[in-house]
Amino acid sequence: MNCVEFQELLPEILDSGETAESKVHAHSCEECFGLYAELKEISAAALLLRAGEEPNQRVWNALEIALRQEGLIRETTPAGPTLVPARSHNWRLAWLVPIAALLLMMTSGIAIFQRGSEPQRVAKMTPISASDGTAVEDQEILSALGERTPTLRAAYAADLQNINSYIRNAEDSVKNDPSDEEAQRALMGAYEQRAMVYEMAFERPLP
Amino acid sequence: MLEPLNARSTTKRRTEGIREEGAGDRDLTDAGRPPDAKISEAEAIERAKLGDSDAFRVLYDLHKRRVYSLCLRMTANTAQAEDLTQEAFLQLFRKIGTFRGESAFSTWLHRMAVNVVLMQLRKKNLPVVSLEETLEGEEDAPRKEPGAPDPKLSGSIDRLHLQRALEDLPPGYRTIFLLHDVEGYEHNEIAAMIDCSIGNSKSQLHKARMKLRSLLKANKTEAAGKR
Repeated sequence: MNCVEFQELLPEILDSGETAESKVHAHSCEECFGLYAELKEISAAALLLRAGEEPNQRVWNALEIALRQEGLIRETTPAGPTLVPARSHNWRLAWLVPIAALLLMMTSGIAIFQRGSEPQRVAKMTPISASDGTAVEDQEILSALGERTPTLRAAYAADLQNINSYIRNAEDSVKNDPSDEEAQRALMGAYEQRAMVYEMAFERPLP
Repeated sequence: MLEPLNARSTTKRRTEGIREEGAGDRDLTDAGRPPDAKISEAEAIERAKLGDSDAFRVLYDLHKRRVYSLCLRMTANTAQAEDLTQEAFLQLFRKIGTFRGESAFSTWLHRMAVNVVLMQLRKKNLPVVSLEETLEGEEDAPRKEPGAPDPKLSGSIDRLHLQRALEDLPPGYRTIFLLHDVEGYEHNEIAAMIDCSIGNSKSQLHKARMKLRSLLKANKTEAAGKR
């Protein structure tokens, strides 16, 4: 093998390894050996360039904004149901929230009035099952949403499932200890969040 | 968008110092896990599918350096690299619901980033692979002054010099070198990505390395002359 042949085969040698013939030539030719060694070192040094720099913080900032605009990010709350914003920033329909919560409670067979001995009243109330009545309403909401914005239906279904689970837990807590004011507040909060999901479902503009 | 090649295809990705543990597991792409990452990559993926913003951030922090470095090397422009990094992650997160774990998450993300960059280069009519650039004998070799020693490179290549030389490399050569030697793609994968033949990919890679060798020697000669 001469130098021309060796250097023509050099790409293959670098990728696949030396052959017996190329080894013999490389050991006998300083120039070819030097060329082979330098190209091999350049290829190996390339790994130094992998993952070297860190992008500016603004990349994440812009990315996060884009994700929120596209609805890919949903807020989580520290306790209870996730994916539901703690507050709706659109207060045009905020007056509907307590009304919706009240209607939900009436539909579920509970009327909670903050008069006199609430704990006893709560204790006398018919235990709520998150599936009573509300499952029908959920299905109606989801069906309507599925017609308007099918891509969001699954997300809302997941939200409602989480909220219903949270409501059941809160109801159990109230049932176990009717004097537990925190449990009562949690239950009220859960109903409010459920109402917010309903609000968001019809507030979200069509894509 | 090119679909990812089958991860089980015979590849000998150069993963020196980098371990890929299979679908869904975190493979080391950035140096070390972020100190505040309390969830695994697999868990972050599942939570990201549900829209968890913290999960998105975890995935971004795990892979941002690798993606950004790739974009930066291929474009040699910081602003473009930032835009492309953002776009790559945005596309990833849009499609994360479809990730089934057949390949490693990093592979999937990386492929997406490469495609984003290549599309951008094509939009700007920048050569993805240079078919005209050739090395003609001594044309690109460093000029040797009579009696001057030919600088040897062995043992003297560091990251900074290589980075500088890479910036001076023609875009087509740079792409091939980045994809193969830096990022570890095989020629058949590169050929599919940039729509060229395997033979062309091999040829361009060799020319890229030869050109880098010339640039590194020239820089070394220049540095020695300044002392």
